[in-house]
Amino acid sequence: MSDARDDIVTVGLPAEGTHDPGTPPAGIGRAPTGVDDLATEHLIVNMGPQHPSTHGVLRMLVELDGEEIKNAEVTLGYLHRGIEKLAEHRRFDAIGTLMDRGDYVSGIMGETAVALAVEQLMEIEVPRRAQWIRVMMAEINRIATHLLWYGTMGLDTGAMGPFLYAMRDRESLLDILEAVSGARMMFNYVRPGGVVADLPVGIDTKIREFCNAFDTYVEEHDAILSGNEIFQARLNGIGVIDAEKALAFGLTGPNLRAAGVDFDLRKTRPYDAYPEMEFDVPLGATGDAMDRFSVRMEEMRQSNRIIRQCIEGMPEGEHTAKVPKVLRPPAGEVYASVESARGEVGIHLVTDGGTSPYRMHYHGPSLYALQALEDIIPGHLIADGCVMIGSTDIMLGEVDR
Amino acid sequence: MRPGVDDIRTLVAGAGVAVEAEDALLGVVARVAPHDAIDALSAFRTGGYESLVDFDGTDTGEAIELTWRLRSYSMDCEAYLKTTVPYDAEIHSAWNVYPSALMPERETAELLGLRLAGHPNPKRLFTTDGIPPLLRKDVAIRSEEEVKNR
Repeated sequence: MSDARDDIVTVGLPAEGTHDPGTPPAGIGRAPTGVDDLATEHLIVNMGPQHPSTHGVLRMLVELDGEEIKNAEVTLGYLHRGIEKLAEHRRFDAIGTLMDRGDYVSGIMGETAVALAVEQLMEIEVPRRAQWIRVMMAEINRIATHLLWYGTMGLDTGAMGPFLYAMRDRESLLDILEAVSGARMMFNYVRPGGVVADLPVGIDTKIREFCNAFDTYVEEHDAILSGNEIFQARLNGIGVIDAEKALAFGLTGPNLRAAGVDFDLRKTRPYDAYPEMEFDVPLGATGDAMDRFSVRMEEMRQSNRIIRQCIEGMPEGEHTAKVPKVLRPPAGEVYASVESARGEVGIHLVTDGGTSPYRMHYHGPSLYALQALEDIIPGHLIADGCVMIGSTDIMLGEVDR
Repeated sequence: MRPGVDDIRTLVAGAGVAVEAEDALLGVVARVAPHDAIDALSAFRTGGYESLVDFDGTDTGEAIELTWRLRSYSMDCEAYLKTTVPYDAEIHSAWNVYPSALMPERETAELLGLRLAGHPNPKRLFTTDGIPPLLRKDVAIRSEEEVKNR
């Protein structure tokens, strides 16, 4: 019997670089090289525009390698209504209705930006009471907006309960906004010269009750999510937008401050009654999703502080300046911006002396946040991508306009 | 906050660009020729204006006026750069200088009917092919026919 058998092949690893699996036989696509060398096929998956974690009608094309996102591209336009073009056919006091439909959760801030631009052009002096009312309404609106973000942030990470608590508090705020402006979302309350109507009798008691209750509720909100280990693991170190990247992509608002950049238009370019208000500007350190979460939570506390100051120190006087029924600003060009819940909302207004804008450009912060998202999402898991979209708090109404 | 007009003039002229600067109601505005716009933006970038916070265009009735809004966080001020380009002109993307120009440039090119050069993804942003540049003054919300038939 021979020692060597030529029908038995030695099993073992070949020398480095010498391994050649050969040509696969007909019907076999490739050599079965084993799990370690398994090359997965990249898939292009369409997320949205009706995906629950895309917060509106955002459509994102993602190129996936298994669960990992290799590339992401934002596709917009599903909510484009031509707000800028429509504004060219509206009277100056009616543009607020369009702004309400831009960022439809923070309508008061958008209306204020337009009002400030017109007032700047016409040199209208807004009565002090009107300025205080605007600030109070804006901060009520800011908490309502942040609460919606807070609830959906929880949903994005698998927590159902916080959304229900957030809606409870948001409901109280919408009741207040409705009592003052007559509407729960499309307020049309801030007009050039002031606000459309004075505060109703008894609203101060309702607001005071909310402020007192919210002192406790906001701590509960914070504890429910930020005290949860799973939530921490989902947000810590995820979606880092450091200061350099935030500035490069033109981020503003909480997304910028989460990266540690101390810039809040209410402090640095104060408008209305903000110079008279005492409040702090929360800053993050690393710019990750948890920093963005913490900044917004603290902003709600600070907004509550401002509302309380407004209600306690509301000055007497007129709620609007004496302005003509049909506004006709002189020909000119101005840029007015406000600190909205999501960042800087800017209005670039060009006038020709007529009763409507010659051109109105509406700058919203979410479009810029989306650009940053396209950059930071690749390399993360698809579930983390959802967290990143949620943590930047985008609003498709103001992106598409 | 507004920077000094002379500071802006010096900053942009330092890049070898012919510039006119003025302190207008809008703010401090530097005007340059279209082919100098990218050089002027680079001068702003190296001169401490870290962020492009807004970009848009206006149909003046004769041409398209482009406006860049630049902010310096370190100097706490904003300045504007303007240039005027003819209708249907090709503009060069500034995304290499300011990445925040990526989507606003697509939007402006689409809605004002300009062509984008040097952009990594020069697709339409909001509307589909066949829709005219909506922010042009000669594009009406309703046609005369539609108004008559209302």
